[in-house]
Amino acid sequence: MTATRSQTRPDTSARRPGDPRTARTRALSERERPLWMLLPGGVLMLVVIVVPLLVGVYIAMLDLDQYTLRQWFSAPFVGLANFAEAFTDSPLLHSIWISVSLSVLVTAVTVPIGVAAAISTQNRFPGRGLVRSVYLIPYVLPAFVVGTFFRTMLQPQGVVNTVFGTDVLWLNGSASYWALAGVMVWTSWPFVYLLSLAGLQAVDNEVHEAAALDGVTWWAKLRYIVFPYLRGPLSLAVIISILHNINNFTLPFVLFGIPLPSSVEVMPVLTYIASFQSFRFGLSAAMAICSLVIVAIPLFVYLRAVRLDTGDDAGPTRKQRRADLATLTAPAAADLEGARA
Amino acid sequence: MSAHGTPFAGSTRTRPTATLTESITAPGRRPGRRPYDTDVTRLLPRWLLVVVIAVIIAFIAAPVLYILFGSVNSDVAVARGEYFPSEFTLANYVAIWDTVALGQGLVNSILTAGAVAVASAALAVSTAYVLVRFRFLGRLTILRGLLALQSIPGTLLLLPVFVVFANIASATGVQVIGTRWGLFVTYLTFALPFSTWVMVTYLRGLPKELEEAARIDGASSGRILRSVVLPLSWPGIVVSAIFAFLLGWNDVLFSTIMTTPNTRTVAVVLQVLGTAQEGGAVPIYGQMMAASIVCAVPVVALYLVFQRYLVGGLTAGSVK
Repeated sequence: MTATRSQTRPDTSARRPGDPRTARTRALSERERPLWMLLPGGVLMLVVIVVPLLVGVYIAMLDLDQYTLRQWFSAPFVGLANFAEAFTDSPLLHSIWISVSLSVLVTAVTVPIGVAAAISTQNRFPGRGLVRSVYLIPYVLPAFVVGTFFRTMLQPQGVVNTVFGTDVLWLNGSASYWALAGVMVWTSWPFVYLLSLAGLQAVDNEVHEAAALDGVTWWAKLRYIVFPYLRGPLSLAVIISILHNINNFTLPFVLFGIPLPSSVEVMPVLTYIASFQSFRFGLSAAMAICSLVIVAIPLFVYLRAVRLDTGDDAGPTRKQRRADLATLTAPAAADLEGARA
Repeated sequence: MSAHGTPFAGSTRTRPTATLTESITAPGRRPGRRPYDTDVTRLLPRWLLVVVIAVIIAFIAAPVLYILFGSVNSDVAVARGEYFPSEFTLANYVAIWDTVALGQGLVNSILTAGAVAVASAALAVSTAYVLVRFRFLGRLTILRGLLALQSIPGTLLLLPVFVVFANIASATGVQVIGTRWGLFVTYLTFALPFSTWVMVTYLRGLPKELEEAARIDGASSGRILRSVVLPLSWPGIVVSAIFAFLLGWNDVLFSTIMTTPNTRTVAVVLQVLGTAQEGGAVPIYGQMMAASIVCAVPVVALYLVFQRYLVGGLTAGSVK
């Protein structure tokens, strides 16, 4: 721990000879803060994310189309006219309603499925590992693959109508809303399952024993003992699911193709069509900014809820560690989710 | 679960994995009336457990088996809505390579997504290391920013990136749109925050003591990162690389706009296959199913190989 000891070591070559003594008064690991290591990643993120974001905001105030695209900075500046048009003269409000309602609906359906799945694999049984792997299959399949095969299944003469003996046009008209909701539920419930698993792991054995001593029924145990443990992870799961469902472009795009039936005209696809089908770039950028505002609401809740600092110096209490488990798991699982969207 | 040696735990347990403590304490009690149900941690009665698992697995398996069956069925039979193939054929797997440029798509996807994986994982390690181990002004803002960036709608960035690239081309004559490089840079916008966050969560779980020991021995931060942190964080690096890879592999939004027929990723090739058949008279659903499976196989293989890291490693490992 002392200077003499470290000087007797031969392998301290990395330390400069004139290392100032005063530096040692700071905490050891704080002695040298290599902030330059942030530079490569930080600068790149700045260039590839922040710059396009600012450009996007500027484009939203331009009357930009395919003719002015190459000299976009000389396109006519129209201020907030694009936003006005988006709200009054485009299907934006309709799309916001579709996106938000779909997202809330799908999240509400996935929560019970995910919780049931997590509870079903909590206790050991032969083949549990296999079941857990199978549970994640809908989640790891690429969204464009899922969209492709559901599109085939939902054809008018497809297997869904054949098996159920129905005659529904799933890919056109009003039924398409339910088709999209169903497929989104199919692919996204394992995310709730993953977070619920983390919550279940926090239930102490003592609690199980106390419940067994009191002779509670399985349902009472779930309702009054296990579910309260899931409240934290589940609220996180709900927020993140809503966020990612709103942003989902791939599934509606692949499932229905362009043009979308009006009943599933979700925000991301509407923005896409405005850009690359109608070539109204300014209008499209304005729509994208509106969708960012919608997304910002759950995002804000999420950022407030998540604990960024684990505070390991203070020695986390057991309760804190549990909370950490939830927060640490969530973004990781969210990554998987994000990687799909 | 093996920690409980309480007398009422597992006394009549029938599963063969009962621990020593359990078998010692077991003789104290006579078997109860519910022979399967005395594990205190059990959450569901056995019958309900079987029902739940069976229902969920059926829910998953019905569509998954459908693509497997569809891919070995004839195009016409799939179009008729047949679930089980009346005759097995592997012709679809042979035909898809000629119907569309699936091979080229696979190569493009692997090159682009692979480069994104390597680059973002490499950059993420050092960024995450500084964010986790050192305290400085703006640190929490950066962490918050990493999370927020993951939720930015792709459609918000698509257009500006497209416009910037188009202008680079007209200003310098270097064509960016349609190249793999353009796609690579675009995917980095999403992969970098992901990978960095994954590394942050991973590095948090590593004990600080090893780094402190190295520091006492006089190692610089660069040296510590290289010789202590890096060797310990391979699982995290692998996971963040995989996430970055999947991001590129699964993307449809950017690749439909920013690729030419030569640089199309496999996701776009599958879309082309899907739309190609709608104009034509002959349905090629069987081939679509086969191509879907070809697109899914690399992802599922990655998942199976690294499953422990991807699911268990990140959740369990991060709390020690």
